[in-house]
Amino acid sequence: MSVLRPLDKLPSLNTATILLVGIEDALLQQLADSMLKEDCASELKVHLAKSLPLPSSVNRPRIDLIVFVINLHSKYSLQNTEESLRHVDASFFLGKVCFLATGAGRESHCSIHRHTVVKLAHTYQSPLLYCDLEVEAFRATMAQRLVRMLQVCAGHVPGVSALNLLSLLRSSEGPSLEDM
Amino acid sequence: MEEQPQKQAADQPADSGGEGGEGGPSQVAGAQEARSEDRMTLLLRLRAQTKQQLLEYKSILDASEEKTPEQIIQEKQIEAKIEDLENEIEEAKIAFEIKQLAIDSVLMDNMKHLLKLNKLVMKSQQESWDLEEKLLDIRKKRLQLKQASESKLLEIQTEKNKQKIDLDGMENSERIKIIRQNLQMEIKITTVIQHVFQNLILGSKVNWAEDPALKETVLQLEKNVDMI
Repeated sequence: MSVLRPLDKLPSLNTATILLVGIEDALLQQLADSMLKEDCASELKVHLAKSLPLPSSVNRPRIDLIVFVINLHSKYSLQNTEESLRHVDASFFLGKVCFLATGAGRESHCSIHRHTVVKLAHTYQSPLLYCDLEVEAFRATMAQRLVRMLQVCAGHVPGVSALNLLSLLRSSEGPSLEDM
Repeated sequence: MEEQPQKQAADQPADSGGEGGEGGPSQVAGAQEARSEDRMTLLLRLRAQTKQQLLEYKSILDASEEKTPEQIIQEKQIEAKIEDLENEIEEAKIAFEIKQLAIDSVLMDNMKHLLKLNKLVMKSQQESWDLEEKLLDIRKKRLQLKQASESKLLEIQTEKNKQKIDLDGMENSERIKIIRQNLQMEIKITTVIQHVFQNLILGSKVNWAEDPALKETVLQLEKNVDMI
């Protein structure tokens, strides 16, 4: 079972699971800690992974939201993300996948152009969030945002579904013409 | 390829043991009430969650029944199609919102009507309350008057009794006895004198029927003094 499918397992009661995929363990760990500190009525489970596919030997609950963390400083991060994206089922992209670009603050260190990431997000029809995960305040805000998104994607918010949220988050700017 | 699951304790009152340790039965009772309230809210929340998840699964089922085109379409056409579908979704959302607004306005009218009726009800209740109070006052006054009349009658009765007792007392008093005795004596004396005069006139063998003055005297003497 090398492909992640969103609905192959039944949801557990009052539990929401998020999967953070990225090559930098420290950042992921910090983000996970910030998320767990958030006040949330449902139980949160955070899984961290360097890349997909996940080992099928581990018994894990249904994953509600996948966040691909791309570090704009390293090209390897983008490559890793692109490879992992192949192991995600298409039905996941109906609002349950999100891209997180970090490191945009230090423009001089960025080796990936912003447009690349924008195009990637546009191709996969998923929202792209920017956050400097190294700064404590931004990390906390992003953690809050991710927790709310996770609640919606897990179905814990009555009246709002993942697809609904996706159409709300759709940004009006696509990749600029020079890249197309 | 590593994986590290982490868990967070649910925000149930896991410190129930600690709460039990607090002194005071009122605190424990309050904590139990809070816990049952928490359970209620938890149940309601879980119900809402399950409903939402069921809705999502149902919609995915419905969506999967639609046939996807098998042919390979160019990426630009796919994007155009996606945009069309998104526009459809947005239009559906807007129509829904408009319908909701219309329903809400009807609802608002109903609520206003309800408020008016409630005010009327409250006013009439207040009026009936006032009338009842007046009735109560009048009843109280009636009761007071009855009590006053009762006490007055009681007074009259006691006065009468007193008078009767006084009268009886007077009957038995000593002075009356003496006066009565004297009266009896006088009556006897007068009767004797009467008889004496009678016998005098009769003994003198005078024809008393001819003389009107004598006649009157004799007749008068016949009157028994006792009968006066």
